[in-house]
Amino acid sequence: MDSTDLQIIICGSAGDGTIAAGDILKRAMARAGYKVIAFDLYPAEIRGFGKCVARVRVTTEQVYSLKRRSDVLVSLDDSHAIEHVGEVRDFGAVIFENAPIARLREGRHMSAHVKPGQVPYGLAQREVCERATSSSRSRNIVVLGFLARMYGLPVAAFHEIIADKFKTKAPVVGESNIRAFDAGFEAATAYFKLDDVTLGPPSHVAEGADTVMMTGNGAVVQGCLDAGIGSFFGYPITPATTIMERLAVEMPKAGARLLQTEDEISAIAATIGAGYAGSRAATATSGPGLALMVEMLGLGVMAEVPCVIFVSQRGGPSTGMPTKTEQSDLNLAVFGGAGDAQRIVLAPTNVEGCYRCAGKAFELAEKFQTPVVILLDLYLSNRYETVIFSKDNIFEPNCSKAVEKQDPGQAYQRFQLTDDFVSPRAVPGDVGGMHTVTGLEHNELGRPSDSGEMHTRMSAKRHRKLEGALAHGDLNICKRFGDEGPVDVGILAWGSTFGESLEAMMAAQAEGIRCSAMKVVMLSPLPVDLIAGFLADCKEVLVPELNYEGQLANLVSGQLGRPLSRLSRVTGAPMQVEEILEQVRALAKGRAAA
Amino acid sequence: MAKGTHHVIIGIGIAGNRAAEILRERDPDCRITMITMSRLPFYNRYDLPKVFRGVRDWREILVDPPAHYDKSHITLRRDSRVTNVDGQRGTLTFAHNEEIGFDRVVVCTGGSGYLPEDLTDYRHLMNGFATFESAMTVYELLPEGGRVVMLGGDMIGLDLARTLLETGYRVTLVVNDYTFWPHRVAADQRGKYLEALERLGIEVHEGAKLERVKEGPKGMPARCLVFEDGSEVFGDVVMPFCGLVPSVEFMLSSGVDIERGLLVNPQLRTTNERIWAAGDVCQIWSAEENAYRFYYGWNNVRAMGEVAARNMTGEEEPFVSIGDEDLYVDKSGHINSPFWQHD
Repeated sequence: MDSTDLQIIICGSAGDGTIAAGDILKRAMARAGYKVIAFDLYPAEIRGFGKCVARVRVTTEQVYSLKRRSDVLVSLDDSHAIEHVGEVRDFGAVIFENAPIARLREGRHMSAHVKPGQVPYGLAQREVCERATSSSRSRNIVVLGFLARMYGLPVAAFHEIIADKFKTKAPVVGESNIRAFDAGFEAATAYFKLDDVTLGPPSHVAEGADTVMMTGNGAVVQGCLDAGIGSFFGYPITPATTIMERLAVEMPKAGARLLQTEDEISAIAATIGAGYAGSRAATATSGPGLALMVEMLGLGVMAEVPCVIFVSQRGGPSTGMPTKTEQSDLNLAVFGGAGDAQRIVLAPTNVEGCYRCAGKAFELAEKFQTPVVILLDLYLSNRYETVIFSKDNIFEPNCSKAVEKQDPGQAYQRFQLTDDFVSPRAVPGDVGGMHTVTGLEHNELGRPSDSGEMHTRMSAKRHRKLEGALAHGDLNICKRFGDEGPVDVGILAWGSTFGESLEAMMAAQAEGIRCSAMKVVMLSPLPVDLIAGFLADCKEVLVPELNYEGQLANLVSGQLGRPLSRLSRVTGAPMQVEEILEQVRALAKGRAAA
Repeated sequence: MAKGTHHVIIGIGIAGNRAAEILRERDPDCRITMITMSRLPFYNRYDLPKVFRGVRDWREILVDPPAHYDKSHITLRRDSRVTNVDGQRGTLTFAHNEEIGFDRVVVCTGGSGYLPEDLTDYRHLMNGFATFESAMTVYELLPEGGRVVMLGGDMIGLDLARTLLETGYRVTLVVNDYTFWPHRVAADQRGKYLEALERLGIEVHEGAKLERVKEGPKGMPARCLVFEDGSEVFGDVVMPFCGLVPSVEFMLSSGVDIERGLLVNPQLRTTNERIWAAGDVCQIWSAEENAYRFYYGWNNVRAMGEVAARNMTGEEEPFVSIGDEDLYVDKSGHINSPFWQHD
């Protein structure tokens, strides 16, 4: 069997090295040439009692989401892992500690919970680790060695990744972890493989492309760097912090500047300032931070200043659930703020999309002189995928509409009304480009004006210039997948939920349901015509999203007047493929009955 | 029966599984926990030779599908070793440091293959045949048409030998005191049965005492047996079949009487009123013989599981051995045993 689709869950307590083990696993598998999607769940607390879960899906074919049922569960702490046993499919494996030190009360050991159809592998993780390293700290690495032996995972890749992970520490640390891995590998030789989990050879990568594995936030950083980001201002907030952390390392190398400000209001103010000065400028935050930024965002719209705001959504409102995923800031991103403050809002659906949208956001901001919001979510920000990048830079370095040579004495009209509603843009220091900028409504020169006629014309300008964004090059603002022409059920999805939607669509097709899925990347301005065309082909439309209100469904039905079926979930976890599929089946069946 | 009585069955072989069936039948509300060191649910050990007939997916030898346990509300704990049973407190302890309570327990752990002391030095050069895993290991080690050397040749081994011969492998039997175990064969009858084995195609090696087992030289089969008379026998796999030793180590501090197996009265109760035993692990009092004795074979073991479960739920029935226990040569000249008879 050549095709591989293997999903492993590692579950433990904060401090067990659960996330680290998942990280090594996914990197090693990616290095060996497999496609990887991975997502970690971790507690808001730093250490000691919270549950950590690392899920890694390893495939040879392209997939778009994690599976609901995993093939292997590794427990580093039964008190947390027991509740995940049901996620393992029949004839999959459950690996657990079978020589714990502490006395356990009845039912607190994994053996009481492994389902009869699953295969238990009790492993003395701690003892194996202590024998190999004189410490039990690397139990998480022992289980990786065990997995490697049981399923034929690439040992050399693991050795490399482990060495790489600990290269900044004393050499003894890396050596000790390699010993732990090898000890786990050796321990597995005493086990007869009884599950039916298999690993085929890796897939091949096309020449002329680089395969890398990164998170959504990592891809955002790479997109920013490749697009020539010049300035970044930010204030830490989960799950956006890693964008700033990575940029803080990388931007100085490229001669760019990053500043951690005292709060989110300062961050957006400085970003708008830098954008005004001509720098490709960005900030990154989450829902609570965006709530603080929307006032200044209005200034960016009114003053027509290019800037980019990355927003990684988490459970809300208020502080909400900082380490859980949600898609409930669509309304805030699209409508937040005072007045008619339309801006561009993009929502990538996968890690590669994060890269592309991040870079394209600078082009769009510059070209249409407006703030651009990139809506991510925790699931997408933290999810790892193997991504194949072209070796060529795909981003335009300068998309600004230049000011033509001014006649002597001619006043520069920063907000000139043009055919495409985009004004030539001068930045401070440009000869002859002196102008006024204000948050007040203004005339073409930028001087304050509260005339009703001017406000009407300028409002139209600020809105209509964005129509051009719908045709911006090399960016899928909206894309249909699956069956062409009339279908029984169409799935309309955005952000990270699209991956699950696509898998559900393919599963529905396999069941004989005519089904299509459309991803909506540009949420503002909304590609109404494309969506309307899609809806016209669908007898039923399902909109799955991770918010309570059905914010995309509201947005689309509000503009198109078409009733839509909603699948709204706010569990803090990604949408399940099976949940979507179940709804698709029900809708298809309903249509058939009708 | 009090609602929610917790019955624990240690061992999920033929006796344990039958006990679970009867317990559920007689006490629908009780809680049943089955414990095994195996990683697999209950499979018929008598089906293990089928590995050589192409049945190499353990799912095909399960007696019940995995869903059976959920349907019967049985908690199945696999890969779990019991280290102590405390009949006074009504608790048992696992090697993984967990303690669970019980109202009644029946020990059905059977026996493990016995290895005579003079063979223990060569344990690493031999293969057992007690589990699916060990059967698969032997299958993987054996080349096509390869030879298995059986030391002893108890009835479990001879059952395997029949399958091996029928599937194109070769078998050499090194006769010792355990040949034909558990049957006691009189000296004057021995030759008759060995001849029957030879008619099956088994090469019988009798006489000289085994001196040692060693790895075969390069280019030869993987194992070489050297006998005191200097003769050598080569084989790809060496398998000891010298009977069973009751698996009772974990019961040593339980306070119940143990001789070789757990001593039980005819109702299969041990000397602790909360603990019963069934199958190859127990020695049952025989008033007729004025001694404790073992009863072997699928039918007896299954009946013991049933009797123990009935008595755990209020009956006081004695165990009665089922059928003739003697080895015989049938009309076609083949050796046969009630030990091999099973559903």
